[in-house]
Amino acid sequence: MNCLMVNNQRRERGTSNFNYGAYHPLESIYAALDDLAAEYPSLVSKQEIGESYEKRPMYILKFSTGGTSRSAIWLDAGIHSREWITQATALWTAQKIASEYGNNPSVTSLLNRMDIFLLVVTNPDGYAFTHTNNRMWRKTRSKNSGSLCVGVDPNRNWDAGFGGPGASTNPCSESYHGPSANSEVEVKNVVNFIKSHGKIKAFLTLHSYSQLLLFPFGYKCTNPADYNELDTVGKAAASALASLYGTTYKVGTICSTIYQASGGSIDWSYDYGIKYSFAFELRDTGRYGFLLPASQIIPTAEETWLGLLKIMEHVRDNQS
Amino acid sequence: MQRRSAARLSPLLLLLLLLLPLAWGAGPWPPRADRELQVSSRLAGQAARVALHYLNYRLGSPSALRALGQVRKATVKPIPGIGHKYYLQFTTEDYKSSQNVGTCLATVLYLKRKPRPAVNINCTYTKDQKQTREDDYSFYKKLRQQTKPITGNDTPDSYGHIEPALEPAWALAVAGSSYLMWEKSTENLGYFMAQVKNVKQWITKDDSIDFDYLVILHEIPTQEMISCHLRVIWTPGHPLKVKYFCLSENQRSESGEGSGTESGSTNGIFNEEEANF
Repeated sequence: MNCLMVNNQRRERGTSNFNYGAYHPLESIYAALDDLAAEYPSLVSKQEIGESYEKRPMYILKFSTGGTSRSAIWLDAGIHSREWITQATALWTAQKIASEYGNNPSVTSLLNRMDIFLLVVTNPDGYAFTHTNNRMWRKTRSKNSGSLCVGVDPNRNWDAGFGGPGASTNPCSESYHGPSANSEVEVKNVVNFIKSHGKIKAFLTLHSYSQLLLFPFGYKCTNPADYNELDTVGKAAASALASLYGTTYKVGTICSTIYQASGGSIDWSYDYGIKYSFAFELRDTGRYGFLLPASQIIPTAEETWLGLLKIMEHVRDNQS
Repeated sequence: MQRRSAARLSPLLLLLLLLLPLAWGAGPWPPRADRELQVSSRLAGQAARVALHYLNYRLGSPSALRALGQVRKATVKPIPGIGHKYYLQFTTEDYKSSQNVGTCLATVLYLKRKPRPAVNINCTYTKDQKQTREDDYSFYKKLRQQTKPITGNDTPDSYGHIEPALEPAWALAVAGSSYLMWEKSTENLGYFMAQVKNVKQWITKDDSIDFDYLVILHEIPTQEMISCHLRVIWTPGHPLKVKYFCLSENQRSESGEGSGTESGSTNGIFNEEEANF
Protein backbone atom coordinates (compact mmCIF):
# COMPACT_ATOMS: atom_id res chain seq x y z
CA MET A 1 0.00 0.00 0.00
CA ASN A 2 2.92 2.35 0.72
CA CYS A 3 4.28 1.84 -2.82
CA LEU A 4 0.90 2.81 -4.33
CA MET A 5 0.66 5.99 -2.28
CA VAL A 6 4.12 7.15 -3.26
CA ASN A 7 3.36 6.48 -6.92
CA ASN A 8 0.12 8.49 -6.72
CA GLN A 9 1.89 11.50 -5.27
CA ARG A 10 4.56 11.37 -7.95
CA ARG A 11 2.01 11.28 -10.73
CA GLU A 12 0.06 14.18 -9.27
CA ARG A 13 3.14 16.33 -9.39
CA GLY A 14 3.69 16.02 -13.15
CA THR A 15 2.67 19.11 -15.13
CA SER A 16 0.50 16.99 -17.42
CA ASN A 17 -1.69 16.29 -14.39
CA PHE A 18 -1.68 19.81 -12.99
CA ASN A 19 -5.09 21.39 -13.34
CA TYR A 20 -4.41 24.78 -14.91
CA GLY A 21 -8.16 25.40 -14.98
CA ALA A 22 -8.40 25.72 -11.20
CA TYR A 23 -7.28 28.21 -8.55
CA HIS A 24 -4.44 26.88 -6.40
CA PRO A 25 -2.95 27.85 -3.06
CA LEU A 26 0.59 29.23 -2.98
CA GLU A 27 2.28 25.92 -2.14
CA SER A 28 0.72 24.22 -5.17
CA ILE A 29 1.76 27.06 -7.47
CA TYR A 30 5.33 26.83 -6.21
CA ALA A 31 5.31 23.05 -6.75
CA ALA A 32 4.08 23.60 -10.31
CA LEU A 33 7.00 25.98 -10.96
CA ASP A 34 9.40 23.24 -9.91
CA ASP A 35 7.62 20.75 -12.13
CA LEU A 36 7.89 23.03 -15.15
CA ALA A 37 11.61 23.50 -14.60
CA ALA A 38 11.99 19.73 -14.23
CA GLU A 39 9.96 18.97 -17.35
CA TYR A 40 11.77 21.49 -19.60
CA PRO A 41 15.28 21.57 -18.10
CA SER A 42 17.00 22.99 -21.19
CA LEU A 43 14.57 25.91 -21.40
CA VAL A 44 13.15 26.68 -17.96
CA SER A 45 14.92 27.44 -14.70
CA LYS A 46 13.66 28.81 -11.40
CA GLN A 47 15.39 31.67 -9.58
CA GLU A 48 14.72 33.42 -6.31
CA ILE A 49 14.79 37.23 -6.52
CA GLY A 50 14.29 37.83 -2.80
CA GLU A 51 11.80 37.32 -0.02
CA SER A 52 8.48 38.90 0.86
CA TYR A 53 7.77 40.81 4.07
CA GLU A 54 6.75 37.60 5.82
CA LYS A 55 9.83 35.87 4.42
CA ARG A 56 8.19 33.89 1.65
CA PRO A 57 10.45 33.29 -1.35
CA MET A 58 9.71 35.21 -4.56
CA TYR A 59 10.40 32.88 -7.49
CA ILE A 60 10.74 33.78 -11.13
CA LEU A 61 10.92 31.40 -14.06
CA LYS A 62 13.59 32.11 -16.63
CA PHE A 63 12.92 30.94 -20.19
CA SER A 64 16.21 30.89 -22.08
CA THR A 65 17.80 28.97 -24.92
CA GLY A 66 21.25 30.13 -23.94
CA GLY A 67 23.48 32.99 -25.06
CA THR A 68 25.06 35.56 -22.79
CA SER A 69 23.33 38.70 -21.54
CA ARG A 70 20.46 38.49 -23.99
CA SER A 71 17.70 41.08 -24.03
CA ALA A 72 14.65 39.93 -22.14
CA ILE A 73 10.95 40.39 -21.59
CA TRP A 74 9.54 40.70 -18.07
CA LEU A 75 6.03 39.49 -17.17
CA ASP A 76 4.53 39.57 -13.69
CA ALA A 77 1.17 38.72 -12.11
CA GLY A 78 -0.54 38.85 -8.75
CA ILE A 79 0.84 42.14 -7.48
CA HIS A 80 -2.68 42.66 -6.12
CA SER A 81 -3.39 39.42 -4.36
CA ARG A 82 -7.19 39.30 -4.78
CA GLU A 83 -6.84 39.34 -8.57
CA TRP A 84 -6.67 35.54 -8.70
CA ILE A 85 -7.19 35.26 -12.46
CA THR A 86 -3.75 36.85 -12.94
CA GLN A 87 -1.69 34.27 -11.06
CA ALA A 88 -3.69 31.49 -12.73
CA THR A 89 -3.19 33.05 -16.19
CA ALA A 90 0.53 33.51 -15.58
CA LEU A 91 0.97 29.87 -14.58
CA TRP A 92 -0.87 28.67 -17.69
CA THR A 93 1.25 31.05 -19.76
CA ALA A 94 4.43 29.54 -18.31
CA GLN A 95 3.34 26.12 -19.44
CA LYS A 96 2.34 27.54 -22.83
CA ILE A 97 5.69 29.21 -23.48
CA ALA A 98 7.53 26.04 -22.52
CA SER A 99 5.45 23.81 -24.72
CA GLU A 100 5.41 26.18 -27.71
CA TYR A 101 9.17 26.38 -28.01
CA GLY A 102 10.13 24.17 -30.93
CA ASN A 103 6.52 23.96 -32.08
CA ASN A 104 5.45 27.52 -32.75
CA PRO A 105 7.79 29.32 -35.17
CA SER A 106 7.13 32.72 -33.64
CA VAL A 107 7.78 31.62 -30.07
CA THR A 108 10.80 29.65 -31.22
CA SER A 109 12.37 32.63 -33.00
CA LEU A 110 11.56 34.83 -30.00
CA LEU A 111 13.28 32.52 -27.53
CA ASN A 112 16.21 31.99 -29.86
CA ARG A 113 16.93 35.70 -29.55
CA MET A 114 15.51 36.83 -26.22
CA ASP A 115 14.87 35.50 -22.72
CA ILE A 116 11.57 35.71 -20.84
CA PHE A 117 11.29 36.22 -17.08
CA LEU A 118 7.98 35.37 -15.44
CA LEU A 119 6.98 36.23 -11.86
CA VAL A 120 3.75 34.35 -11.19
CA VAL A 121 3.12 35.56 -7.63
CA THR A 122 4.46 39.05 -7.05
CA ASN A 123 2.70 39.39 -3.67
CA PRO A 124 2.88 35.97 -1.98
CA ASP A 125 1.96 37.23 1.51
CA GLY A 126 -1.19 38.82 0.18
CA TYR A 127 -2.02 35.73 -1.84
CA ALA A 128 -1.70 33.47 1.18
CA PHE A 129 -3.91 35.89 3.12
CA THR A 130 -6.65 35.69 0.49
CA HIS A 131 -6.78 31.95 1.13
CA THR A 132 -6.66 32.00 4.91
CA ASN A 133 -8.40 35.19 5.98
CA ASN A 134 -9.80 37.64 3.46
CA ARG A 135 -10.46 36.80 -0.16
CA MET A 136 -10.61 40.51 -0.98
CA TRP A 137 -7.14 41.42 0.35
CA ARG A 138 -5.23 43.60 -2.15
CA LYS A 139 -2.13 44.97 -0.49
CA THR A 140 1.09 43.59 0.97
CA ARG A 141 1.08 42.45 4.60
CA SER A 142 3.66 44.85 5.95
CA LYS A 143 3.06 46.49 9.33
CA ASN A 144 2.54 50.24 9.27
CA SER A 145 4.17 52.04 12.15
CA GLY A 146 1.70 54.05 14.18
CA SER A 147 -1.32 52.31 12.70
CA LEU A 148 -3.36 49.20 13.37
CA CYS A 149 -3.94 48.83 9.67
CA VAL A 150 -1.73 46.49 7.68
CA GLY A 151 -0.33 46.64 4.20
CA VAL A 152 0.68 48.94 1.37
CA ASP A 153 -0.72 49.01 -2.15
CA PRO A 154 2.27 47.61 -4.05
CA ASN A 155 1.13 49.31 -7.25
CA ARG A 156 1.33 52.76 -5.68
CA ASN A 157 4.75 52.12 -4.20
CA TRP A 158 6.97 52.45 -7.30
CA ASP A 159 9.22 55.42 -7.87
CA ALA A 160 7.07 57.14 -10.48
CA GLY A 161 5.30 60.26 -9.33
CA PHE A 162 5.34 58.64 -5.90
CA GLY A 163 2.92 60.18 -3.45
CA GLY A 164 1.04 62.03 -6.15
CA PRO A 165 -2.68 61.96 -7.00
CA GLY A 166 -4.51 58.65 -7.04
CA ALA A 167 -2.71 57.18 -4.03
CA SER A 168 -3.68 57.45 -0.39
CA THR A 169 -1.69 58.67 2.60
CA ASN A 170 -3.91 56.62 4.92
CA PRO A 171 -2.45 53.24 5.98
CA CYS A 172 -5.99 51.89 6.29
CA SER A 173 -6.71 52.64 2.64
CA GLU A 174 -6.58 50.04 -0.13
CA SER A 175 -4.45 52.44 -2.18
CA TYR A 176 -2.02 53.47 0.57
CA HIS A 177 1.26 54.28 -1.14
CA GLY A 178 3.48 53.44 1.79
CA PRO A 179 6.02 55.55 3.70
CA SER A 180 8.35 55.90 0.70
CA ALA A 181 8.95 54.60 -2.82
CA ASN A 182 10.17 50.98 -2.85
CA SER A 183 9.42 50.67 0.89
CA GLU A 184 7.79 47.34 0.08
CA VAL A 185 10.37 44.59 -0.20
CA GLU A 186 8.30 42.89 -2.91
CA VAL A 187 8.62 45.98 -5.10
CA LYS A 188 12.27 46.49 -4.19
CA ASN A 189 13.12 42.93 -5.22
CA VAL A 190 11.66 43.44 -8.70
CA VAL A 191 13.33 46.82 -9.13
CA ASN A 192 16.68 45.36 -8.12
CA PHE A 193 16.31 42.48 -10.53
CA ILE A 194 15.36 44.71 -13.46
CA LYS A 195 18.18 47.16 -12.76
CA SER A 196 20.85 44.53 -12.33
CA HIS A 197 19.74 42.60 -15.42
CA GLY A 198 20.20 45.72 -17.48
CA LYS A 199 18.66 44.48 -20.74
CA ILE A 200 14.94 44.22 -20.08
CA LYS A 201 13.15 45.48 -23.18
CA ALA A 202 9.52 44.99 -22.17
CA PHE A 203 7.74 45.19 -18.82
CA LEU A 204 4.34 43.50 -18.84
CA THR A 205 2.08 43.14 -15.82
CA LEU A 206 -1.26 41.44 -15.20
CA HIS A 207 -4.13 42.82 -13.16
CA SER A 208 -7.87 42.28 -13.02
CA TYR A 209 -10.61 43.26 -13.65
CA SER A 210 -12.00 45.50 -16.43
CA GLN A 211 -10.68 44.17 -19.75
CA LEU A 212 -8.25 46.94 -20.50
CA LEU A 213 -4.81 47.15 -22.08
CA LEU A 214 -3.00 50.10 -20.60
CA PHE A 215 0.26 51.93 -21.15
CA PRO A 216 1.83 54.95 -19.38
CA PHE A 217 1.19 57.33 -17.86
CA GLY A 218 -0.91 56.97 -14.75
CA TYR A 219 0.84 59.45 -12.50
CA LYS A 220 0.28 62.27 -14.96
CA CYS A 221 -2.38 62.83 -17.55
CA THR A 222 -0.05 63.61 -20.44
CA ASN A 223 0.82 61.18 -23.20
CA PRO A 224 4.16 59.40 -23.31
CA ALA A 225 6.57 60.27 -26.12
CA ASP A 226 5.99 56.82 -27.64
CA TYR A 227 2.21 57.18 -27.53
CA ASN A 228 1.63 56.38 -31.19
CA GLU A 229 3.69 53.21 -31.20
CA LEU A 230 2.34 51.95 -27.88
CA ASP A 231 -1.22 52.67 -28.95
CA THR A 232 -0.71 50.84 -32.25
CA VAL A 233 0.87 47.82 -30.60
CA GLY A 234 -1.81 47.85 -27.89
CA LYS A 235 -4.62 47.91 -30.42
CA ALA A 236 -3.03 45.05 -32.38
CA ALA A 237 -2.71 43.04 -29.17
CA ALA A 238 -6.32 43.73 -28.15
CA SER A 239 -7.47 42.73 -31.60
CA ALA A 240 -5.54 39.45 -31.43
CA LEU A 241 -6.97 38.79 -27.97
CA ALA A 242 -10.53 39.42 -29.17
CA SER A 243 -10.11 37.11 -32.16
CA LEU A 244 -10.43 34.00 -29.99
CA TYR A 245 -13.64 34.45 -27.99
CA GLY A 246 -14.77 37.96 -28.88
CA THR A 247 -13.61 39.42 -25.57
CA THR A 248 -13.29 43.17 -26.09
CA TYR A 249 -10.56 45.23 -24.46
CA LYS A 250 -10.22 48.99 -24.38
CA VAL A 251 -6.76 50.36 -25.09
CA GLY A 252 -5.26 53.60 -23.81
CA THR A 253 -3.14 55.38 -21.25
CA ILE A 254 -3.80 54.63 -17.60
CA CYS A 255 -4.94 58.15 -16.86
CA SER A 256 -7.45 58.48 -19.67
CA THR A 257 -8.79 54.93 -19.55
CA ILE A 258 -8.87 54.00 -15.89
CA TYR A 259 -7.93 56.81 -13.50
CA GLN A 260 -4.99 58.91 -12.44
CA ALA A 261 -2.84 56.78 -10.15
CA SER A 262 0.70 57.54 -9.03
CA GLY A 263 3.48 55.14 -8.10
CA GLY A 264 2.54 52.43 -10.60
CA SER A 265 4.90 49.79 -11.95
CA ILE A 266 4.65 50.43 -15.69
CA ASP A 267 5.16 54.17 -15.21
CA TRP A 268 8.37 53.37 -13.36
CA SER A 269 9.55 50.90 -15.99
CA TYR A 270 8.78 53.32 -18.82
CA ASP A 271 10.57 56.24 -17.17
CA TYR A 272 13.44 53.87 -16.42
CA GLY A 273 13.82 53.34 -20.17
CA ILE A 274 11.75 50.24 -20.87
CA LYS A 275 9.66 51.51 -23.74
CA TYR A 276 7.30 48.54 -24.06
CA SER A 277 5.50 48.85 -20.75
CA PHE A 278 1.95 47.51 -20.66
CA ALA A 279 -0.58 46.52 -18.03
CA PHE A 280 -3.44 44.13 -18.73
CA GLU A 281 -6.65 44.27 -16.75
CA LEU A 282 -8.07 40.80 -17.42
CA ARG A 283 -11.68 39.51 -17.32
CA ASP A 284 -14.36 40.38 -16.53
CA THR A 285 -16.09 43.78 -16.59
CA GLY A 286 -17.77 43.54 -13.20
CA ARG A 287 -20.25 40.67 -13.13
CA TYR A 288 -17.95 38.43 -11.08
CA GLY A 289 -15.08 40.89 -10.74
CA PHE A 290 -12.35 39.41 -8.56
CA LEU A 291 -14.38 36.21 -8.11
CA LEU A 292 -14.06 35.06 -11.71
CA PRO A 293 -15.30 31.47 -12.04
CA ALA A 294 -12.56 28.90 -12.51
CA SER A 295 -14.24 27.79 -15.73
CA GLN A 296 -13.01 31.07 -17.25
CA ILE A 297 -9.34 30.58 -16.35
CA ILE A 298 -8.27 28.69 -19.46
CA PRO A 299 -10.29 30.78 -21.93
CA THR A 300 -8.89 33.93 -20.32
CA ALA A 301 -5.35 32.59 -20.43
CA GLU A 302 -5.72 31.45 -24.05
CA GLU A 303 -6.97 34.80 -25.30
CA THR A 304 -4.51 36.80 -23.20
CA TRP A 305 -1.70 34.72 -24.64
CA LEU A 306 -2.54 35.97 -28.13
CA GLY A 307 -2.33 39.55 -26.90
CA LEU A 308 0.93 38.95 -25.04
CA LEU A 309 2.46 37.20 -28.03
CA LYS A 310 1.57 40.11 -30.31
CA ILE A 311 3.41 42.50 -28.00
CA MET A 312 6.38 40.16 -27.59
CA GLU A 313 6.70 39.73 -31.35
CA HIS A 314 6.80 43.47 -31.77
CA VAL A 315 9.48 43.74 -29.10
CA ARG A 316 11.47 40.95 -30.75
CA ASP A 317 11.28 42.67 -34.14
CA ASN A 318 11.96 46.19 -32.88
CA GLN A 319 14.36 45.88 -30.03
CA SER A 320 17.40 48.12 -30.23
CA MET B 1 -17.59 80.47 -24.02
CA GLN B 2 -21.22 79.51 -23.53
CA ARG B 3 -22.37 83.10 -23.86
CA ARG B 4 -20.55 83.45 -27.16
CA SER B 5 -22.11 80.34 -28.67
CA ALA B 6 -25.59 81.31 -27.39
CA ALA B 7 -25.29 84.64 -29.18
CA ARG B 8 -24.44 82.85 -32.43
CA LEU B 9 -27.40 80.47 -32.29
CA SER B 10 -30.70 81.16 -33.93
CA PRO B 11 -33.50 82.13 -31.53
CA LEU B 12 -35.38 78.87 -32.24
CA LEU B 13 -32.40 76.71 -31.44
CA LEU B 14 -31.72 78.73 -28.32
CA LEU B 15 -35.30 78.16 -27.19
CA LEU B 16 -34.97 74.44 -27.78
CA LEU B 17 -31.75 74.30 -25.81
CA LEU B 18 -33.35 76.15 -22.91
CA LEU B 19 -36.26 73.71 -22.91
CA LEU B 20 -33.96 70.72 -23.08
CA PRO B 21 -34.21 69.73 -19.40
CA LEU B 22 -38.00 69.69 -19.74
CA ALA B 23 -38.24 68.20 -23.15
CA TRP B 24 -35.56 65.51 -23.32
CA GLY B 25 -36.36 63.51 -26.34
CA ALA B 26 -38.02 66.39 -28.14
CA GLY B 27 -34.97 68.68 -28.39
CA PRO B 28 -31.79 68.22 -30.39
CA TRP B 29 -29.64 65.38 -29.02
CA PRO B 30 -26.88 65.63 -28.06
CA PRO B 31 -26.62 69.37 -27.52
CA ARG B 32 -23.93 71.41 -29.20
CA ALA B 33 -20.98 73.09 -27.55
CA ASP B 34 -20.40 70.16 -25.21
CA ARG B 35 -17.43 68.02 -24.62
CA GLU B 36 -17.46 64.78 -26.57
CA LEU B 37 -15.93 62.04 -24.47
CA GLN B 38 -13.85 59.16 -25.68
CA VAL B 39 -16.13 56.16 -25.45
CA SER B 40 -13.29 54.31 -23.78
CA SER B 41 -13.06 56.86 -20.99
CA ARG B 42 -13.77 55.80 -17.47
CA LEU B 43 -16.27 58.61 -16.91
CA ALA B 44 -18.38 57.53 -19.86
CA GLY B 45 -18.49 53.90 -18.73
CA GLN B 46 -19.16 54.93 -15.17
CA ALA B 47 -22.09 57.15 -16.15
CA ALA B 48 -23.52 54.35 -18.30
CA ARG B 49 -23.30 52.00 -15.34
CA VAL B 50 -25.13 54.47 -13.13
CA ALA B 51 -27.93 54.61 -15.68
CA LEU B 52 -28.07 50.80 -15.66
CA HIS B 53 -28.14 50.63 -11.84
CA TYR B 54 -31.20 52.86 -12.01
CA LEU B 55 -32.81 50.76 -14.76
CA ASN B 56 -32.18 47.47 -12.94
CA TYR B 57 -33.63 48.88 -9.75
CA ARG B 58 -36.71 50.37 -11.40
CA LEU B 59 -37.51 47.27 -13.43
CA GLY B 60 -37.13 45.15 -10.30
CA SER B 61 -36.93 42.00 -12.40
CA PRO B 62 -34.25 39.44 -11.53
CA SER B 63 -34.64 37.81 -14.95
CA ALA B 64 -34.19 41.07 -16.85
CA LEU B 65 -31.04 42.39 -15.18
CA ARG B 66 -28.66 44.07 -17.58
CA ALA B 67 -24.96 44.74 -17.63
CA LEU B 68 -23.06 47.29 -19.68
CA GLY B 69 -21.98 46.20 -23.16
CA GLN B 70 -20.16 48.93 -25.08
CA VAL B 71 -20.44 52.70 -24.90
CA ARG B 72 -21.10 53.91 -28.44
CA LYS B 73 -21.34 57.63 -27.84
CA ALA B 74 -20.79 59.90 -24.87
CA THR B 75 -21.00 63.64 -24.39
CA VAL B 76 -20.85 65.72 -21.23
CA LYS B 77 -22.41 69.11 -20.75
CA PRO B 78 -21.53 71.32 -17.80
CA ILE B 79 -24.58 73.06 -16.37
CA PRO B 80 -23.21 76.03 -14.42
CA GLY B 81 -24.18 75.99 -10.76
CA ILE B 82 -25.93 72.64 -11.09
CA GLY B 83 -23.60 69.92 -12.23
CA HIS B 84 -22.56 67.79 -15.19
CA LYS B 85 -24.98 66.10 -17.53
CA TYR B 86 -23.89 63.07 -19.50
CA TYR B 87 -25.56 62.00 -22.74
CA LEU B 88 -24.93 58.36 -23.50
CA GLN B 89 -25.64 55.67 -26.02
CA PHE B 90 -24.60 52.17 -25.07
CA THR B 91 -25.33 48.52 -25.70
CA THR B 92 -26.42 46.17 -22.93
CA GLU B 93 -25.98 42.49 -22.16
CA ASP B 94 -28.09 40.05 -20.23
CA TYR B 95 -26.59 39.89 -16.74
CA LYS B 96 -26.53 36.10 -16.68
CA SER B 97 -25.93 35.01 -20.26
CA SER B 98 -23.90 38.03 -21.51
CA GLN B 99 -25.96 38.01 -24.69
CA ASN B 100 -26.62 41.37 -26.27
CA VAL B 101 -30.14 42.45 -25.29
CA GLY B 102 -30.48 45.94 -26.70
CA THR B 103 -29.33 49.54 -26.79
CA CYS B 104 -30.03 52.40 -24.42
CA LEU B 105 -30.07 56.16 -24.66
CA ALA B 106 -29.60 57.80 -21.31
CA THR B 107 -28.84 61.05 -19.57
CA VAL B 108 -27.15 61.09 -16.21
CA LEU B 109 -27.08 64.35 -14.30
CA TYR B 110 -24.60 64.54 -11.46
CA LEU B 111 -25.84 67.25 -9.17
CA LYS B 112 -23.53 69.26 -7.00
CA ARG B 113 -25.99 69.46 -4.14
CA LYS B 114 -28.27 66.42 -4.25
CA PRO B 115 -27.02 63.04 -3.09
CA ARG B 116 -27.79 60.89 -6.11
CA PRO B 117 -27.56 61.24 -9.89
CA ALA B 118 -30.71 62.01 -11.88
CA VAL B 119 -31.22 59.45 -14.61
CA ASN B 120 -33.38 59.29 -17.72
CA ILE B 121 -33.03 56.08 -19.66
CA ASN B 122 -34.79 54.53 -22.64
CA CYS B 123 -33.85 51.13 -23.96
CA THR B 124 -34.76 48.60 -26.57
CA TYR B 125 -35.04 45.04 -25.36
CA THR B 126 -34.47 42.14 -27.67
CA LYS B 127 -35.32 39.40 -25.17
CA ASP B 128 -38.86 38.04 -25.12
CA GLN B 129 -40.71 40.03 -22.46
CA LYS B 130 -43.25 37.26 -21.94
CA GLN B 131 -40.37 34.88 -21.25
CA THR B 132 -38.78 37.17 -18.66
CA ARG B 133 -42.14 37.60 -16.92
CA GLU B 134 -42.50 33.83 -16.79
CA ASP B 135 -38.92 33.43 -15.55
CA ASP B 136 -39.60 35.99 -12.83
CA TYR B 137 -42.76 34.19 -11.86
CA SER B 138 -41.08 30.78 -11.58
CA PHE B 139 -38.33 32.47 -9.51
CA TYR B 140 -41.03 33.85 -7.30
CA LYS B 141 -42.94 30.59 -7.01
CA LYS B 142 -39.80 28.69 -6.04
CA LEU B 143 -39.02 31.23 -3.32
CA ARG B 144 -42.63 31.35 -2.04
CA GLN B 145 -42.61 27.55 -1.77
CA GLN B 146 -39.72 27.65 0.71
CA THR B 147 -40.86 26.35 4.08
CA LYS B 148 -37.34 26.62 5.39
CA PRO B 149 -35.82 30.09 4.84
CA ILE B 150 -32.91 30.25 2.39
CA THR B 151 -29.63 31.13 4.03
CA GLY B 152 -26.14 31.25 2.63
CA ASN B 153 -22.65 32.70 2.75
CA ASP B 154 -20.11 33.88 0.22
CA THR B 155 -22.02 33.98 -3.04
CA PRO B 156 -20.12 33.70 -5.32
CA ASP B 157 -17.52 31.86 -3.25
CA SER B 158 -13.76 32.47 -3.49
CA TYR B 159 -13.64 30.38 -6.67
CA GLY B 160 -16.46 32.25 -8.41
CA HIS B 161 -19.01 29.51 -7.83
CA ILE B 162 -22.67 30.26 -7.16
CA GLU B 163 -24.70 27.44 -5.57
CA PRO B 164 -27.68 26.82 -7.88
CA ALA B 165 -30.03 26.97 -4.88
CA LEU B 166 -28.76 30.47 -4.10
CA GLU B 167 -29.05 31.85 -7.62
CA PRO B 168 -32.46 33.48 -7.15
CA ALA B 169 -31.33 35.11 -3.92
CA TRP B 170 -28.17 36.32 -5.65
CA ALA B 171 -30.14 37.80 -8.54
CA LEU B 172 -32.39 39.69 -6.13
CA ALA B 173 -29.28 40.96 -4.36
CA VAL B 174 -28.04 42.36 -7.66
CA ALA B 175 -31.37 44.10 -8.21
CA GLY B 176 -31.42 45.47 -4.66
CA SER B 177 -27.76 46.50 -4.78
CA SER B 178 -28.54 48.42 -7.95
CA TYR B 179 -30.61 50.84 -5.89
CA LEU B 180 -27.83 51.17 -3.36
CA MET B 181 -25.17 51.68 -6.02
CA TRP B 182 -27.27 54.25 -7.88
CA GLU B 183 -27.70 56.23 -4.65
CA LYS B 184 -24.02 56.16 -3.76
CA SER B 185 -22.61 56.87 -7.22
CA THR B 186 -21.05 60.23 -7.94
CA GLU B 187 -19.27 61.49 -11.02
CA ASN B 188 -16.03 60.17 -9.58
CA LEU B 189 -17.08 57.21 -7.45
CA GLY B 190 -18.43 54.07 -9.08
CA TYR B 191 -19.49 50.69 -7.70
CA PHE B 192 -19.71 47.02 -8.51
CA MET B 193 -21.38 44.36 -6.40
CA ALA B 194 -18.44 42.15 -5.50
CA GLN B 195 -20.02 39.48 -3.35
CA VAL B 196 -23.02 38.53 -1.26
CA LYS B 197 -21.35 37.79 2.03
CA ASN B 198 -24.50 36.60 3.72
CA VAL B 199 -28.12 36.02 2.79
CA LYS B 200 -31.09 35.26 4.97
CA GLN B 201 -34.66 34.90 3.84
CA TRP B 202 -37.61 36.01 5.97
CA ILE B 203 -40.70 33.89 5.38
CA THR B 204 -43.59 36.36 5.09
CA LYS B 205 -47.30 35.97 5.67
CA ASP B 206 -48.14 38.13 2.64
CA ASP B 207 -47.23 37.75 -1.06
CA SER B 208 -43.78 39.24 -0.84
CA ILE B 209 -40.29 37.78 -1.00
CA ASP B 210 -38.12 39.19 1.78
CA PHE B 211 -34.34 38.92 2.01
CA ASP B 212 -31.72 40.27 4.35
CA TYR B 213 -28.25 40.58 2.83
CA LEU B 214 -24.75 41.58 3.71
CA VAL B 215 -23.22 42.66 0.41
CA ILE B 216 -19.70 43.76 -0.41
CA LEU B 217 -19.39 46.58 -2.92
CA HIS B 218 -16.18 47.33 -4.80
CA GLU B 219 -15.63 51.10 -4.98
CA ILE B 220 -13.69 52.68 -7.88
CA PRO B 221 -11.24 54.38 -8.00
CA THR B 222 -10.51 54.08 -4.28
CA GLN B 223 -10.46 50.23 -4.51
CA GLU B 224 -12.22 50.03 -1.16
CA MET B 225 -14.55 47.16 -0.31
CA ILE B 226 -17.67 48.53 1.36
CA SER B 227 -19.96 46.34 3.49
CA CYS B 228 -23.65 47.10 3.37
CA HIS B 229 -26.68 45.54 4.97
CA LEU B 230 -29.45 45.30 2.42
CA ARG B 231 -33.12 44.48 2.90
CA VAL B 232 -34.99 43.63 -0.28
CA ILE B 233 -38.72 43.07 -0.50
CA TRP B 234 -40.02 41.87 -3.85
CA THR B 235 -43.35 41.12 -5.40
CA PRO B 236 -43.21 40.55 -9.18
CA GLY B 237 -44.70 43.43 -11.12
CA HIS B 238 -44.30 45.81 -8.20
CA PRO B 239 -41.49 48.28 -7.50
CA LEU B 240 -38.65 46.81 -5.50
CA LYS B 241 -38.54 47.91 -1.86
CA VAL B 242 -34.98 48.37 -0.66
CA LYS B 243 -33.49 49.50 2.62
CA TYR B 244 -29.78 49.69 3.24
CA PHE B 245 -27.20 50.57 5.82
CA CYS B 246 -23.52 50.77 4.88
CA LEU B 247 -20.49 50.74 7.12
CA SER B 248 -17.42 52.66 6.17
CA GLU B 249 -13.83 52.93 7.34
CA ASN B 250 -14.45 55.97 9.51
CA GLN B 251 -17.42 54.34 11.25
CA ARG B 252 -19.64 56.74 9.32
CA SER B 253 -22.77 55.00 8.24
CA GLU B 254 -25.04 55.80 5.37
CA SER B 255 -28.52 54.52 4.94
CA GLY B 256 -31.34 54.84 2.51
CA GLU B 257 -34.68 53.52 1.49
CA GLY B 258 -36.27 53.05 -1.89
CA SER B 259 -39.75 52.11 -2.96
CA GLY B 260 -39.97 52.91 -6.64
CA THR B 261 -41.27 56.42 -6.20
CA GLU B 262 -37.96 58.24 -6.76
CA SER B 263 -37.69 60.76 -9.59
CA GLY B 264 -36.06 59.79 -12.82
CA SER B 265 -37.56 58.13 -15.81
CA THR B 266 -37.44 55.12 -17.96
CA ASN B 267 -39.68 53.91 -20.71
CA GLY B 268 -39.55 50.50 -19.14
CA ILE B 269 -38.81 48.12 -21.91
CA PHE B 270 -40.35 47.69 -25.28
CA ASN B 271 -39.91 44.78 -27.58
CA GLU B 272 -38.50 45.97 -30.86
CA GLU B 273 -35.95 45.12 -33.44
CA GLU B 274 -32.75 47.05 -32.88
CA ALA B 275 -33.87 50.58 -33.66
CA ASN B 276 -31.84 52.81 -35.92
CA PHE B 277 -30.47 55.42 -33.51
